[in-house]
Amino acid sequence: MSLNALRIIWRVTRLNFRAQLEYRSEFLMMIAIGAIWQVSVIVFATVLLSRFTGMGGWDSSDVLLIPATRMLAHALFVLFLGRMHGVGRHIQEGRIDTYLVRPMPVHRQVQLEFFPTNAIGDMTVAVGLMVGALSRSQLDWTAGRITYLIACLIGGMLLEAAMFTVVASASLRFPAADYWSRWLEELLGTFGSYPLNVLPRAVGGFLTFGLPLAFVAYFPAAVLTGHGDSTGVPYWLAAASPLLGALAYLGARLLWRWSLGHYTGVNG
Amino acid sequence: MSGSIEVRGLSRTFHTTVRRPGFLGGVRSLVNPERVAKEAVCDISFDVAPGELLALLGPNGAGKSTTIKMLTGILTPTAGEARVAGVVPYEERERNARNIGAVFGQRTQLWWDLPVRESFSILRDIYEVPKAEHAARLKEFDELLALSSFWDTRVRHLSLGQRVRSDMAAALLHDPPVVFLDEPTIGMDVVVKEQVREFLRHQVEERGRTVLLTTHDMTEVERLAERVVLINHGRLVLDGTLDEIRRKFGSTWQVRATLADPHTPVEPLPGITLLRREGPQVVFGPDGPTAPTVHQALKQVIERYEVTDIALDEAELEDVMRAAYVQSEVRVEDRAGGA
Ligand SMILES: Nc1ncnc2c1ncn2[C@@H]1O[C@H](COP(=O)(O)OP(=O)(O)OP(=O)(O)O)[C@@H](O)[C@H]1O
Ligand SMILES: [Mg+2]
Repeated sequence: MSLNALRIIWRVTRLNFRAQLEYRSEFLMMIAIGAIWQVSVIVFATVLLSRFTGMGGWDSSDVLLIPATRMLAHALFVLFLGRMHGVGRHIQEGRIDTYLVRPMPVHRQVQLEFFPTNAIGDMTVAVGLMVGALSRSQLDWTAGRITYLIACLIGGMLLEAAMFTVVASASLRFPAADYWSRWLEELLGTFGSYPLNVLPRAVGGFLTFGLPLAFVAYFPAAVLTGHGDSTGVPYWLAAASPLLGALAYLGARLLWRWSLGHYTGVNG
Repeated sequence: MSGSIEVRGLSRTFHTTVRRPGFLGGVRSLVNPERVAKEAVCDISFDVAPGELLALLGPNGAGKSTTIKMLTGILTPTAGEARVAGVVPYEERERNARNIGAVFGQRTQLWWDLPVRESFSILRDIYEVPKAEHAARLKEFDELLALSSFWDTRVRHLSLGQRVRSDMAAALLHDPPVVFLDEPTIGMDVVVKEQVREFLRHQVEERGRTVLLTTHDMTEVERLAERVVLINHGRLVLDGTLDEIRRKFGSTWQVRATLADPHTPVEPLPGITLLRREGPQVVFGPDGPTAPTVHQALKQVIERYEVTDIALDEAELEDVMRAAYVQSEVRVEDRAGGA
């Protein structure tokens, strides 16, 4: 990415942000929605988790690291790459056509469409939760652990972006595929915050190899808290979560590029 | 950089699945979908010279938008090739994008939440236009399109006419040698339409841009285009000047003459038939495929008869086009029947 490209990204983001600020009530409402959404997920998860005894052998302060990681990764996703999620609408409205006649990658133009105000709410809650999780954690937060946590957050963001990019690529061919993105969002929101070993094996297996949700927060948290050997997958696989996130994202972007080349357009 | 457009054997087939009627049909379609191939554009070739304005015409569903989408790099053709300002658009999309401006009447390329002028300045950054050049061009466009009365408004609050004018300016801010416009004046009032035509004429005549335009508005074609390419069912029907089209399909002229002597016997002339006679008033029309043009007919009538008054009704371009569409329909059917 060239310097000019970065400048354009920064400029468009700033302008978009200012535009959102001008609708003050809408702006505050969007932040509130982001925050309330996250808080409700946390409350739900807490209530549910407190019903399980032992939480799959995890200490309660360790368990907190799972929703904190998942939510912070998700907030980063919404902030930086989240527009991929509404791309089906862009496709149906034919906006992709106008992106294709501009000398800029279509993916980037999709991201720059508007400023994701709700990410501010997501981010606030997620950071709060992460601070809480870290302060209650009895782990020794060495530089190595912190670096690994940051890598996992980025990996988690990329993994979520990869999943939505795959759905978006499908909607380039079949606009109805966009419904899957809503399903995906629900599923990630619902299951992202639990130690998957409290779930039935089949569900855990699906969330590992079907939808790679386990790699967003559960495996990273397990590796960090010393439960890396009892996740049901080899230790090295769980530990490689951030790398897998990056690879999945790369693959998804290639798929997206291929799909754009085979784009058939909407009529009109 | 020369802004020519070269199109050779360009084709695009769409594959769609058809749903069989009824519930059982629906289930059968699910299990064993019936795929149909639709040739939206089929073996089309034409050229547009630098600085030329060409109107791409044809009835609804003829393949005009599909052709433009291939030339702008949105769609990849299934066969044939195209070059726009020397670049193959669907192979080098971003490079082509720098050479072209595109306006799609039905959709905007501006940022929905931003004031128009901010969209313009983002585009300036994207296309790396020097600041002074950008300001000068904006001034020029404002003079022609009266943009400044609404350019501080957010795009989402603009009227259709204001939005399309903004889109038009946005498409040309980076000084592209080639411009594509797909129904740019759709839904505009007469004043704005004229403003837009004036703008386009200026862009072609003063700035030497190459323009490919589609429209269903024949007044627009008459005012702007010298040359048209007519397509129907994805096939090229005709590539020629407006005069040629009139000559070929506009066989609906009438010459109305008032004879000096109302008792003169009137006979048909070669290729000219007598349509009506009311006392001294006679009306001639074209006859058969060898009919002369309206101007030749006028000359023949004057040479042959002594007239006190003469008037001619040339077919409206709209009627000419209707005739062209209908005749091309017949020809396409012939071809399909023969194949
Ligand atoms: N993405 C698509 N999938 C399937 N069929 C398509 C697609 N796009 C266009 N077509 C078909 O291709 C044909 C040509 O469409 P096109 O949009 O190019 O027509 P047009 O000349 O622009 O018509 P109009 O004047 O109505 O805008 C139509 O029969 C249309 O149904
Ligand atoms: Mg069209």
